[in-house]
Amino acid sequence: MIPAAPFLCVITDEAFCPVTMAEQALRGGAAMIQLRHKTASGAQLFAWAVAIRNLCKEYHALCIINDRLDIAMASQADGVHLGQNDLPAEAARKVLGKNSIIGVSASSAAEAIRAEKAGADYIGFGHIFPTTSKLKGFSPLGTKPLQESAALVSLPIIAIGGINLLNAASLISSGAAGVAVIAAVSRAVEPSRAAREILCAIKESQR
Amino acid sequence: MVQNKLQQTPLPRLLLVSSGEEDPDNGSRLLAQLKLLSGLNACMVQIREKQLTALQLFVLAQKAREIKLPEGTLLLMNERTDIALACGLDGVHLPENAPPLDKLRLIGPQLLFGCSVHSVESARIAEESGADYLLFGPVFDTPSKRKYGAPQGLEKLGELCRKTTLPVFAIGGITPMNALTCLDEGAYGTAALTIFRESRGFIENIEKFNRILYP
Repeated sequence: MIPAAPFLCVITDEAFCPVTMAEQALRGGAAMIQLRHKTASGAQLFAWAVAIRNLCKEYHALCIINDRLDIAMASQADGVHLGQNDLPAEAARKVLGKNSIIGVSASSAAEAIRAEKAGADYIGFGHIFPTTSKLKGFSPLGTKPLQESAALVSLPIIAIGGINLLNAASLISSGAAGVAVIAAVSRAVEPSRAAREILCAIKESQR
Repeated sequence: MVQNKLQQTPLPRLLLVSSGEEDPDNGSRLLAQLKLLSGLNACMVQIREKQLTALQLFVLAQKAREIKLPEGTLLLMNERTDIALACGLDGVHLPENAPPLDKLRLIGPQLLFGCSVHSVESARIAEESGADYLLFGPVFDTPSKRKYGAPQGLEKLGELCRKTTLPVFAIGGITPMNALTCLDEGAYGTAALTIFRESRGFIENIEKFNRILYP
C-alpha cells in the first residue's frame, strides 16, 4: 500500500494548478500526491481529484486527498490525509473501510502514537524545518522528535516542513520512510527536475 | 404529500438552517434549540457552519445526533457527505458548487440529498442527478443575502416549482406572514435562518410556521 522507502510525496501548492503540479511531480518520480486546497469549492476539488487520481494510476503512484473523505471516495482516490483539526482517524476508518489509506498529521511522539492506535496507515510528521508554505503556530521541531517517533511507532513516517534538496537525506537517516514537499517542487524553476533531484538525494542516503 | 423515498415517510415542511455562528468555545445555540424541538412537529435541520473545522463539525453533529428529536425529524449536514456518514445523520444539503450528486449518492446511498438552486436550469440539473428536494431563494429580501443583489421573488419561485417534480423549499426572508404566499406558488415547504438566530420566541415562531405549513 504505502510505497517502499525512501519515497517522495508532493503536496499541491494553492498558488498553482494542482493537476499541472501533480503531473510535474509524478514525472519527477513522486510516489504520492496529496491534493490540498483549503478554499476551493467541492465541485472544483472533485474535478482536480479525478484528474490527479487518473495521473497517479498512470504513474503507479498514490493519490491522497487532504481532509475531505467525500471527495476521496467520490473520486476513487487512494486515501485521505487528516490534520489534527479534521475528522478523527477512527471515525474516518469507519466511513472509508479498511482498503483506503489514512494518513494523520502529528507533531509529537504522543500524537504519532495516538495516530497509530487510531488506525492510521502513515504519519505525516512535522514541521521539521522552518516553512513558508503553511502558517504554523509552533517552532520547527528539528529531527530529534522525528527520531523519537520513528523509534516508538511502527507506521511509516513522512517528514514534512521546509524540506529541500540539501536536508532531505537527513530525514531518511532520522527514520522517515519518505519526505513530503510543497515549495521545493512547486517554486522550483523546473518542478519535475526538482522532484527527481530530491528523490535521488533520499535514495542516495540509503546506500 | 411528497414521500421521502428513503424513509417512506413524508418530508417535513419546515427546514431550519443553523445560524452559521456556532462557536465551540461558547456553548452551542444549535444544540440548545434542538432540545427545544421536543413535542413539536418533525422538521428538517441543516447544520451549516462554514467557520468550523471538520473536527468541530463532527463533534457538533455527534452531539446533535444524541438529542432526542421529534419522530421524523431529519438532521442534514451542509456539503460534507463524509461528516454526515461519520455521525449517522439523515442527509446532506449541497450548495450549487458541491461535488456531483450522482457520485455522492454512491458513497451514501442511505442519505437524503437536497440541493440549493438559484435557477430553473440548476433545478433541472439537480433533479436529473437525483436530488430528493430543492432549496430555492432568496425569495424575499434578507440581510444575509443582500450582497448578492435583489431577491428572486415569488414569480420565479412559482416558475421553478412548476418546472420540477421535486419538493421545493423557499428560503430568504420567509416569515409566518408570507409563508402562505410561497405555498400558493407551489412550494412544498419553507426554510428559515435569520428568524432562528434568537432563541427568544424560537418555539412560538416554529409553531406559527407549522400552523401555516400543516393547516
